[in-house]
Amino acid sequence: MLKKMIGILFVTFVVTQSSAFAGFWAGAVPPEIISTNGHEIDNLFMYTTWLNIVYFILVCAGLFGFSYLYWYKRSPKAYYTYGNKKEHLVVTMIIGAAVFLSIDLNITRMSNDDMINEFWKFPDASKEEVIQIEVLAQQWMWNFRYAGVDGKFNTADDVLSNHDLRIPVGKKVEFRISSKDVIHSLYFPNARLKADAIPGRITRLWFQPTKTGEFDIACAEMCGTHHYLMKAKLRVETEEDYKLWLGEAERLALAGNDVDNLDNYWGWKWEEQ
Amino acid sequence: MTYAHGIHEAPKTFISKYIISFDHKVIAKQFLWYGIFFLGVGGMMALLIRWTLAYPGEAFPILGSLLFPHTNGVVPPDTYAMLFTLHGTIMIFYAITPILIGAFGNFCIPLMIGARDMAFPMLNMLSFWFAFLSGLVLLASLFIPYGGAAGGWTSYPTLSTLIGSPGAGQTLWCLAIFILGISSTMGAVNYITTVISFRAPGMGYFDMPLTVWGLWLTAILNAIFLPVLGAGVMLLIFDRVFGTHFFLAGAAATSGTGDPVLFQHVFWIFGHPEVYILILPAWGVVSDLLSFFSRKPAFGAKATALSMTTITILSTVVYGHHMFTTQMSPLLTQTFMTLTMTISIPSAIFFANWLGTIWRGSIRFHSPMLFSLGIVFVFGLGGLTGLYLGTVSTDLYLHDTYFVVGHFHYTMAASVLLGGFAGTYFWFPKMFGKMMNETLAKIHFWGSMVGLNGIFFGMLLVGYAGMHRRLYNPFVYEFMKDMTSINTMITISALIMGAFQLVFVYNFLHTLIKGKPVTDNNPWEVGTLEWTIPSPAPHYNFKEIPTVKCGPHELGNPNLKNGRDFQYQTEELVEA
Ligand SMILES: [Cu+2]
Ligand SMILES: [Cu+2]
Repeated sequence: MLKKMIGILFVTFVVTQSSAFAGFWAGAVPPEIISTNGHEIDNLFMYTTWLNIVYFILVCAGLFGFSYLYWYKRSPKAYYTYGNKKEHLVVTMIIGAAVFLSIDLNITRMSNDDMINEFWKFPDASKEEVIQIEVLAQQWMWNFRYAGVDGKFNTADDVLSNHDLRIPVGKKVEFRISSKDVIHSLYFPNARLKADAIPGRITRLWFQPTKTGEFDIACAEMCGTHHYLMKAKLRVETEEDYKLWLGEAERLALAGNDVDNLDNYWGWKWEEQ
Repeated sequence: MTYAHGIHEAPKTFISKYIISFDHKVIAKQFLWYGIFFLGVGGMMALLIRWTLAYPGEAFPILGSLLFPHTNGVVPPDTYAMLFTLHGTIMIFYAITPILIGAFGNFCIPLMIGARDMAFPMLNMLSFWFAFLSGLVLLASLFIPYGGAAGGWTSYPTLSTLIGSPGAGQTLWCLAIFILGISSTMGAVNYITTVISFRAPGMGYFDMPLTVWGLWLTAILNAIFLPVLGAGVMLLIFDRVFGTHFFLAGAAATSGTGDPVLFQHVFWIFGHPEVYILILPAWGVVSDLLSFFSRKPAFGAKATALSMTTITILSTVVYGHHMFTTQMSPLLTQTFMTLTMTISIPSAIFFANWLGTIWRGSIRFHSPMLFSLGIVFVFGLGGLTGLYLGTVSTDLYLHDTYFVVGHFHYTMAASVLLGGFAGTYFWFPKMFGKMMNETLAKIHFWGSMVGLNGIFFGMLLVGYAGMHRRLYNPFVYEFMKDMTSINTMITISALIMGAFQLVFVYNFLHTLIKGKPVTDNNPWEVGTLEWTIPSPAPHYNFKEIPTVKCGPHELGNPNLKNGRDFQYQTEELVEA
């Protein structure tokens, strides 16, 4: 009886503790990836992590192992050496070279490949369909601009939206980003990307969403007291839903945009870069 | 080498002895008190920040209602911004810099190279009092309308111009940093000159303890790069006060246009070397202490010194890795990424040398040794986590997240703090002629290690999960809702960390006031020059300028016949 009770208690303890534990580790999991290339960043992260674990284990083996083995009671006499013998230098050089060749050169090459083949490879609007969106950051709000019916930016028929960004799933989306006041940073945690929004400059970013749903957009660069509230919603919609929404928004823009309000013309001409 | 270095009388009045002192040892202690005071202030700020992140909207216990009566003890959002801005500024410029460079630099350099004082005692005195003035300006900025600076310690324009920061707080911040720059530059010039021209006869550069190497390289970086920061904040003052447009662009630039990114370049040209300015003294101290407490020579000491020099040089050409998200040209980005990665080579070499030093030693785990081993551990984590931020693609995700915060706290806070403590426990008898309590020191070590790693590893975790920096309340975001428990764990670790620092403060003050004078002039049994003279060091250090005949790490030589296992640097080297 007692044994059984202890057994039940033990099981309950393990289950509750491990679920609390699982809850704890849930906080260390990055948000789900919703872009075609977001996993490249996670892959490089994991690759670096595995190599780091190997080297950190080596450091710890030396640190704790030698501390244990060469405690003065176990090792009353130290080995008198300057560590400048030929074999010492060779070992040191090998360690230096091994670290550089195995970690640094590898991850640099991988990161560079990812940049060239993915993140710097902006879609070409003359060859494929690209959703183009201009973004203006301001304290503490995200403004988005679609070109509207005429396909030209900064005209009276542009679709303007704030805090609410809609894009169709499966289409490449390119953002051109600037800021009205201070430096902000457009951050898509689910796409693993961010780009600073800088007054007087235009930065850019692209990704291709693979999942529909609602996700967070954040401002990653400190921009004043309410920096933490500078968030927006990203809605990735099916193509039909997106078209429906855009059509309606374009109609409303044509009918309802205040043509004389200069504040609405914060956009700029979209140029090939 | 002979030089005319007149011995004058020891000062007699209280003011000339303790206030306007020209004695490097007194100035070192002034910097130490100053640094410990600000360490306390910066640490309290950290606790307020951590409390807000773990328990948003809840009153800070006990002190909260005193500090923030209008919000019933809850930290308000604008104060929160001020707190993390000043926490960073204070910890870097007003706590770590004065302790590692001001206190240990001043104390150790002359004593370890066998000099009676610094090359320019007057400059040295001014260096402290300029730092003091700077501290007053910074603290004063908290008590003016709109309060202190709140744009982050990096104070990027245009947030730090009048567009984002009205009031005089940010201007006073710039002024304080400028004055501190003058102070540090004076100190740096002094250290460089002293090392070059005041080394005792017979002491070549490689006969200097590695502590002096670290401090010397730091001084060189300080002398070159602090003026760059000074220029940057001066231009920012111009933009704020005189209406210039150096850093204004876009709609805000009413007459001509500048560029906010220009400031980032200026800032990080200084800012990356600054990391090494802070860590080099700690590396030097570790390299020496590992050897002293393993009772054998520092493994590959020359290679360690040269690696530190290589890193010093490399640190000047990698700063662009802080600015990947501003989208520099791909070529520039690739260059900065590759150059950043090369830092691994010298780092790996001195890591290997540190482990080589304790390999086959005869290790005594006194508190300075524990702290030194602790540095090897936390700096290992700090260095390796830097790799993710050096590669551009992962940086696109991790930039401005808590991963960065965890990484630089491991390198700059954990390692440097442990280095400061190692140095304090080690040189305390030389400074004050008393020994701190070993048991309390070891409790302090283990408590700090648990605290530090809880805090900074927790930060790496939430950073990897995407939590970005400088948020008053992260949980307004859907994707961060799961991070409550880790953030609570970090905050509890910070409270543990804080509590264990009280052990240190108690130990420090109690020993100072009640401790018995040491009977042994050389309690750690090491042979560097500062241990050839009485403890505490007398007014002019060396009655006669010593002549150096061997290196700083002569320990464990089996042919020693004098009953000791080490040699003083003033003794003829016994051949092995
Ligand atoms: Cu923002
Ligand atoms: Cu850097």
